[in-house]
Amino acid sequence: MLQQTIALIIIASILARLYWQKQKNYIGMNEFLFWLTFWILAAILIISLKFIDKFVAGLGFSGSGIEVLLYLSVAALFYFVFRLRLKLEKIEKDITKVVQNIALKNSKDN
Amino acid sequence: MRVFCVIPAFNEEKNIKAIINQVRPLVDCLVIVDDGSTDRTADFTLREGAVLLKHIINRGQGAALRTGTEYCLNNGADIIVHFDADGQFLSQDIEKIAAPIKNNKAQVVFGSRFLNAEHSSEVPFIKKNIIMPLAKAVNRIFFNVNLTDPQSGFRAMSAEAARRIGWRQDRMAHCSEIMFEVKKNNFKVKEVPIRVIYHNFGQSFSGGFKILKELFIAMLVN
Repeated sequence: MLQQTIALIIIASILARLYWQKQKNYIGMNEFLFWLTFWILAAILIISLKFIDKFVAGLGFSGSGIEVLLYLSVAALFYFVFRLRLKLEKIEKDITKVVQNIALKNSKDN
Repeated sequence: MRVFCVIPAFNEEKNIKAIINQVRPLVDCLVIVDDGSTDRTADFTLREGAVLLKHIINRGQGAALRTGTEYCLNNGADIIVHFDADGQFLSQDIEKIAAPIKNNKAQVVFGSRFLNAEHSSEVPFIKKNIIMPLAKAVNRIFFNVNLTDPQSGFRAMSAEAARRIGWRQDRMAHCSEIMFEVKKNNFKVKEVPIRVIYHNFGQSFSGGFKILKELFIAMLVN
């Protein structure tokens, strides 16, 4: 119970900071909505930990609900890193195209 | 038939003058792609009378070759030769590598360090006996490519082949990708023996793994 309270206090402070960043226009609307949804979802999951415990036990997992959440978040992180790598690859290709076009446009010979 | 030669160069001010002087008389057009050099490679290229294409930042050998090849195709090349700027290839082999295309015996020709026993003895021991066999196995297993030299950077292709080979790798993995594309397009291929003079070791084990990583990511992206 104490751990859940601490986690919810941390999330509340993050949400307050998020709101402040939006007010100051440090982040755009889309980014604000993404992080708002993310942290609210995290808070809901923390509040319903007992239900998740029962749910994952019902599914046949040996671990507790919080452990399953941890595994899922690690899997999600891997996925996001992979997506980022693909995006980076595309940016690299686009940079090369720009560099090649400039080179071909400015070809020099004697 | 108009033979164009593309040489990617990155910080090659020490070699480029000699390379241009050796290669320029043997081809109809010599294209040097300065791949973001920070030295005077570009100045020497212009002074020696070759075509200069300048990448404003370094994009890798594969990208530089693609830029040069596109220039050749836009300017009436019939045969495009890829050569190196580090002075390890011999300019007299250019005629040899272009000949099968001129004679209609091939559409793509790869130079091979391993066709001539005398030349292959000059390849460093670890490269010849460990790195190259591994690279050959990778090419055979993953790309169904069975050439004697798995990482040959000295090649010639007809304009038609160059138009259809769309390699996308910017860095060193372009070598394997070109071989794979050649196989995929069913081009008539020939290998000719070439000699390589080793000034340095070249592609190492870690370089090989980097190539594999690049090819794997490319497969995922595609």
